[in-house]
Amino acid sequence: MFADFHAIVPMLCVVAAGLAAMIAEAFRDKGERMPIGPLGAVGLIGAGISTVLLWNRDATSFEVVTADNFGLFVTGILVLVGLLSLAISGPTVEREGLPAGEYYALMLFSLGGMMLMATATDLLVIFLALEVLSLAIYVLTGIRRDSAAGAEGAFKYFVLGGFSSAFFLYGIAFVYGLTGSTHLDRIGTLMAAQAMTPSAMQMLAVGLLLVGFAFKVSAVPFHMWTPDAYEAAPPAITGFMSTGVKAAAFAAFVRVFLSALEPLIADWSPLVWGIAAATMIIGTVVGVAQTSVKRMLAYSSIAHGGYLLLALIAANDTAKGAVLFYLLVYAVTNLGAFGIISVLETREQANDKVADYAGLWNSHPTLALLMTFFLLSLGGFPPLGGFIAKWYVFNAAIQAGYTWLAIIGVLTSVVSVFFYLRVIVMMYMTPADAEARVPLPAVPQIAGAAIVLSALLVLYLGVLPTRVLEWAAASIGGII
Amino acid sequence: MTFPILSTLIALPIVGAFLLFAFTDDEAHESTIRNAALVVSLLVFGLTLLLWAQFDAASANFQFVERHPWIPAFGIDYSVGVDGISLLLIVLTGFLTPIALLCSWESVHTKTRGFCMLILLLEAAMIGVFVSIDLFLFYVFWDAMLIPMYFLIGIWGYDRRIYAAIKFLLYTMAGSVLMLLAILALAVMHNQQMGTYSFDLQRLFDLRIEPGLQMWLFLAFTLAFCIKVPLFPFHTWLPDAHTQAPTAGSVILAGVLLKMGTYGLVRFAFPLFPEAAVAFAPYLGWLAVIGIVYGALVAMVQPDMKKLVAYSSVSHLGFVVLGIAALNTQGMEGAVYQMLNHGISTGGLFLIVGMLSDRRHTRLISEYGGLKNVTPRLVAAFLIITLASIGLPGLNGFVGEFLILLGAFAANRTLAVVAASGVILSATYMLWMFQRVNYGTVTNPKNESLPDLKPREWVVLVPIIAMCVVMGVFPNLFLRPMAPSVAKLLTRMNQTSRVQAQVAPPVDAAAAVVAEKR
Repeated sequence: MFADFHAIVPMLCVVAAGLAAMIAEAFRDKGERMPIGPLGAVGLIGAGISTVLLWNRDATSFEVVTADNFGLFVTGILVLVGLLSLAISGPTVEREGLPAGEYYALMLFSLGGMMLMATATDLLVIFLALEVLSLAIYVLTGIRRDSAAGAEGAFKYFVLGGFSSAFFLYGIAFVYGLTGSTHLDRIGTLMAAQAMTPSAMQMLAVGLLLVGFAFKVSAVPFHMWTPDAYEAAPPAITGFMSTGVKAAAFAAFVRVFLSALEPLIADWSPLVWGIAAATMIIGTVVGVAQTSVKRMLAYSSIAHGGYLLLALIAANDTAKGAVLFYLLVYAVTNLGAFGIISVLETREQANDKVADYAGLWNSHPTLALLMTFFLLSLGGFPPLGGFIAKWYVFNAAIQAGYTWLAIIGVLTSVVSVFFYLRVIVMMYMTPADAEARVPLPAVPQIAGAAIVLSALLVLYLGVLPTRVLEWAAASIGGII
Repeated sequence: MTFPILSTLIALPIVGAFLLFAFTDDEAHESTIRNAALVVSLLVFGLTLLLWAQFDAASANFQFVERHPWIPAFGIDYSVGVDGISLLLIVLTGFLTPIALLCSWESVHTKTRGFCMLILLLEAAMIGVFVSIDLFLFYVFWDAMLIPMYFLIGIWGYDRRIYAAIKFLLYTMAGSVLMLLAILALAVMHNQQMGTYSFDLQRLFDLRIEPGLQMWLFLAFTLAFCIKVPLFPFHTWLPDAHTQAPTAGSVILAGVLLKMGTYGLVRFAFPLFPEAAVAFAPYLGWLAVIGIVYGALVAMVQPDMKKLVAYSSVSHLGFVVLGIAALNTQGMEGAVYQMLNHGISTGGLFLIVGMLSDRRHTRLISEYGGLKNVTPRLVAAFLIITLASIGLPGLNGFVGEFLILLGAFAANRTLAVVAASGVILSATYMLWMFQRVNYGTVTNPKNESLPDLKPREWVVLVPIIAMCVVMGVFPNLFLRPMAPSVAKLLTRMNQTSRVQAQVAPPVDAAAAVVAEKR
């Protein structure tokens, strides 16, 4: 009977660490310092080890969770996201006096939800996972209780997220009505049988599920919450949710749309085509107008969602591998960038305006250099990971014949380079306003190490991507 | 196993750049950093000369080929090689980089370490572009090269440097991303036709591409290269980038970067899509001629010397494209030769302008006058390089322009006639500028006590002037290694294209020119 638990071991490790964090917080004396962050890291390392052990075994738990390589690859990304997020959270928690137990426990619970979402093969379990991760993230967004912006962002996110969950649940209900099942395999078989005679009900089911997913991956026109939530949350949390939620949501998105709903691809692909094009265009064009680095990265995150949708719509084997590789590169790059934003933040001011980066090269050359790495990788410059990721996605699109979408993709990525460059211009080519700058505290070691590690990964994935590309290509077997 | 000379050429500047991290970036170490970077660049130059010495000039094939799988699942190799077309451009890169470092010896004092590192990284990327024979690898270097140049312009440039740097980067990138898609399309097509992905240039030659698609792919490639050249009407980034870049940046930009566009046409766009290339060559020829005349006319009215030289580049590069579009031996060889010439003479002009601007902190022609009385040696060097740029027989510019006009004449007489007016116009604007700056009496008191050439400046200028003379007097030294590769390229163009290109035999073309002159 224990075999039934194999597939969910990574998740159990993380949730156990989360529970331990809560208990530790409960027994903590006021003012006592406890290594709650490292506790989470232990859980994540356990999850990482079990992910490696489960590789290639296709373990299934309770018929609703399958730890196939696809899910495990995403779980691996999530472990990395978790570890880096914990490392860059330290200074924020310390400085803002946030309740460490709650903070880390919520982070770990949402990671558990993400991992469940990446491996679930039943629509109801996906919904459950979605709620677990979302609720924790809503709270984390507003964890700065004294900040009005934080409350506003969290509230917006919560209300809109609630709406989207309702859409998603409606979609599940319609799918159940059509097929009598919530299990992806069975839905796939039954949909394939009905695919020849598309009905209004099918379209409704697909459309509602699409809205639910599009909201979670912040695709246009369901992206409105993203900039506000990203700006309101502490930078470490923004980095965490922009990468983790995206990875988990895309994993489930790909799983549902390319396995269960694959027979209806002719019906949903025009819709996704439009959403992908709009997402790439709006994400980059509106990003140009931003003055806050966090908002700018929020729009960049929207645009990157657009490139991932491009892979989703291409729907071939290359595309599935591309989604995995892209999510990995995006995760390390974006977390690195948000790591830098979070070390630049001081108690007095957020330092997150583009203008605040003026002269960073003079005051903190290493931070400026690392930030340059991340921004150039986001912009898709070789020899950094972002270039290989974009190339992989466009390769899939060209292969599938979506030439126009690929053209929109490359042109919008040129537009996106413009706003990444604005930060670089500030860092290197604009002298600092000497009076405005509050002296920064020394960069904390663990956060610094995490940022350097991210940069090294970005470089590694750009120069020697072969091994990881092969893993990604070997991980798509679970998606038919 | 033989010594991997090409990989060493790419790796050496990169390693050198990172070794510079060993020195702290302060005034005490400034000269150490400069010297170390100079030594690295000289080593690279030595290696490029060794490459030339060992190059088999009789062969048309790629030599010194190294091939290692990089991303095997998609048939992407790290594969590098040189043939006669790329060989001399690599030597040119090796030649100009130490000069670029030397010429900024006194004008760059802030963040010297970063400056030297970027120059070396830029050199590695440029060599990478010229040696790549895998399209993916080529694109990687092609795009990676933008970043060091962007920083060089943006950090060490003149007043409007940020605008110029961003314009340079976005303009070039916008052109090249479509080429990326075209490269992907080729690889996908290779997968459809041969069953495997491949980005290898020589394997992609075997593809059968239907004419309609060939046209689109050719346009995607050509757009990227024409922006880089820059061919009229895609040239608007160039005057800004050139004017705002520091002298070293201008020298490399004019000397090497612009050649990547024309090199790309010769290496990739034309042989990969021969039918489309033959169909579009006349249009390219017309754009080139418009560029020749337009660039010359605009150069004539520039008050700023650097901008004048920048527009003269538009005009001169028009000649190169015209030679390529002629699709015959003279035109093509002349084009490759002119790429080298332009690298040397325009590089030299930017050096001279840089020296004047170091002395007076202005580049306006009207601020100068009568320099011949103050700095006779500088003016003498200026004169030789000016004449080389105009195309005076005996100096390098003449050989290239003559060959190109010969080739163009065989292909399309009207084009050649209009283009020849560019030669006259270039004499007009260059000599007029030269006259206003150097002759007459010293009108501006600030110019009265300008120092003449310093030893370091001699070291920079003498190789340039020597090359102008050598390339003008012994053109065969340079034409011989490229001839087999050019012949092979043209054979391919003629065999594969159903439309017969007009290739007149060399003797006839020369005779025709003689007849015309009578």
